[in-house]
Amino acid sequence: MARLRTLTVVTVAVLALALAGCAESTSGGNTGGSSGGNGNDNGPIKIGAVLDITGAGASLGVPERKTLEMLAQQVNDSGGIDGRRIELLIEDNQSTEDGAAKAASKLVQTEKVNILLGASRTGPSLAMRPIAEQAKIPMISLAANEKIVTGSEWVFKTAQNDRVVIEKIVDDMTAKGYKKIGLARDASGFGEGVAETFTELGKDAGIQIVATEKFAPDASDFTAQMVNLRSANPDAVVIWGIPPAASLAQVAYRKVGPKVPVYQSHGIGNQVFLDTAGDSADGLIAPLVRMVVADQLPENDPQKQTVTTFINDYKSAYNENPSTFAGHAYDGFMIAVNALKEVGTDPNKLRDAIENVSDWPGVSGVFTMTPQDHSGLTKEALVLVTVEKGNWKLLEGQAG
Amino acid sequence: MTDLLQLVFSGLAQGAVYGLVALGFVAIFSVREIVNLAQGEYAALAGLSAISAVAAGIPLLAAVLLVVPMVVVVAVVLERLCIAPVKRMTPLVSIILTLGISTALKAIMLLIWGPQGRGLPPFPGKDLLVGGVSIRSQELWILGIAAIVGFAVVRAYEHTLLGKAMRACAEQPIAARLVGISPRTATMIAFGVAGFVGAVAGVIGSPVYFSSWDYGLALGLKGFVAATLGGLVSLRVAMAGGLVLGVLENLVAGYVDTGYRDAVAFLVLLLVLLVRPQGLVLRAPAVRV
Repeated sequence: MARLRTLTVVTVAVLALALAGCAESTSGGNTGGSSGGNGNDNGPIKIGAVLDITGAGASLGVPERKTLEMLAQQVNDSGGIDGRRIELLIEDNQSTEDGAAKAASKLVQTEKVNILLGASRTGPSLAMRPIAEQAKIPMISLAANEKIVTGSEWVFKTAQNDRVVIEKIVDDMTAKGYKKIGLARDASGFGEGVAETFTELGKDAGIQIVATEKFAPDASDFTAQMVNLRSANPDAVVIWGIPPAASLAQVAYRKVGPKVPVYQSHGIGNQVFLDTAGDSADGLIAPLVRMVVADQLPENDPQKQTVTTFINDYKSAYNENPSTFAGHAYDGFMIAVNALKEVGTDPNKLRDAIENVSDWPGVSGVFTMTPQDHSGLTKEALVLVTVEKGNWKLLEGQAG
Repeated sequence: MTDLLQLVFSGLAQGAVYGLVALGFVAIFSVREIVNLAQGEYAALAGLSAISAVAAGIPLLAAVLLVVPMVVVVAVVLERLCIAPVKRMTPLVSIILTLGISTALKAIMLLIWGPQGRGLPPFPGKDLLVGGVSIRSQELWILGIAAIVGFAVVRAYEHTLLGKAMRACAEQPIAARLVGISPRTATMIAFGVAGFVGAVAGVIGSPVYFSSWDYGLALGLKGFVAATLGGLVSLRVAMAGGLVLGVLENLVAGYVDTGYRDAVAFLVLLLVLLVRPQGLVLRAPAVRV
């Protein structure tokens, strides 16, 4: 009897906890009112955004939400688009794929948005892609992986391809003569395909991955990964993730990892990383956008103006520095707004206008979209940055 | 060999945190048949409150000494409000109630602290390197404090009159009342103890494992699995179970695949439920009427 009873209690408890886990992906946030339809040419223009506001992607989604809210306010204050107000609808996908799909469907089918922004990370963006394509409305993802846009007619993105980030790292490794690379990567969509791309791009320079370790985006202990990398005796290590996981990995790397140089990805371009990684971040190398080192940029840099204005606006609105993810949101939103200003809300014209963006200086880089490239950025958008005493520092000979 | 020792050592530190959370489950279940699913939330609440206290300029030690009693008070108040008024408490009712408490606490933490995870500054001390094994001073703090707290709780439950009286409530509720033990008071104290161990786990673990609003869910699950090793009634086995689980997770992550790390707890749970649902304790638990 006691045995049976414990069994029942334990089973029910586990089911309840499992349900609690699932329940976390059901509710959703919503800002902005709801009114009007979209066939109407005088009503507000609806921009829908699906962001990773809670969960593992929160350090990306929160600044992105702040950016979108700030920019929508700015555009509306200066008279909107051709006299029409922007109505911004933001949904939280709770960093899950199904949450993103649900939120995107809601925005497209119920709210009938004119254009879709999001999501913050690759996995959720991939989940939104078929929804935008089916509805035939343009979507601009704020995430990095090139799978999001490959072969898509309707989907664009503003974060640089992982490929160009890896090109940048491989260039530096080639110059320094590192051959054997140990990789610790995010086990979710963000880290997928990284090892393969490194192998492909590094082939000519003789660079090869000698060990690949994975970590969950919400992992808390990285000892095992770092110990395994140490055993592989690499020339350099690449940690590919976003904070807090990337910060914890960086700390563990300094404690138990191999004593070799470490590269981080573009996933760490925010203050949260610096705060949580602390001293252990000193000396790492990361290919980041110019925004994190805006004050160190030369005056003739084409992005200097945009980046400085954005940082100042963001600082005065929220009293903190914008992250690179805020920059991706800026680029996505402004590309959408510029296209809407140019051609109005017709989905086909809107799509063409976005595809024709050329030499537009955004926060993350100078964008040139083409029918083949829906990402618009090359490795020139990135500069190699290090960390010195808790601050980003531009490495010599990177800007200009 | 160094790798093995490294994995085992950091697994022990992580396991000590699981063990403390497991103690919280047992501290309550061995007094009344209540499975407290909010156990992990105490740790998250303590970690986040301590981070805010430190950010407000309170010294680390003072912040910790302030936060732990605060979480104990929260645990006791929630017990008074949500558990005590229930006339006929069954394990199922307790699970539903505490799941509600857990969800509410998580929502409140999300509102107050936002979605981002953060860490408390490490406790004072120098990191060591012993025979190639890196030992963070915080991990020593975790092991030391967990050992002291674990020992104190076991001692209090098994060797003091109060502890024996509390456990008597579970074994013979009516007889306990006849000899003047109040099950209501016992339950309240048990929740206080659970809040205490949860809060300690939260503050000592925060510098290494970080705290966030949803940190309690995973931690609670791991602690719960460790507690089931002792059939939810043995404090010693629960603590040891936590340590074993922490080490096992690290070994699986190191030698099999890092992706399987989080599966370890559930595999252990399945095995225990199938083979020995009464736990790994040698004696069968006392028969309940």
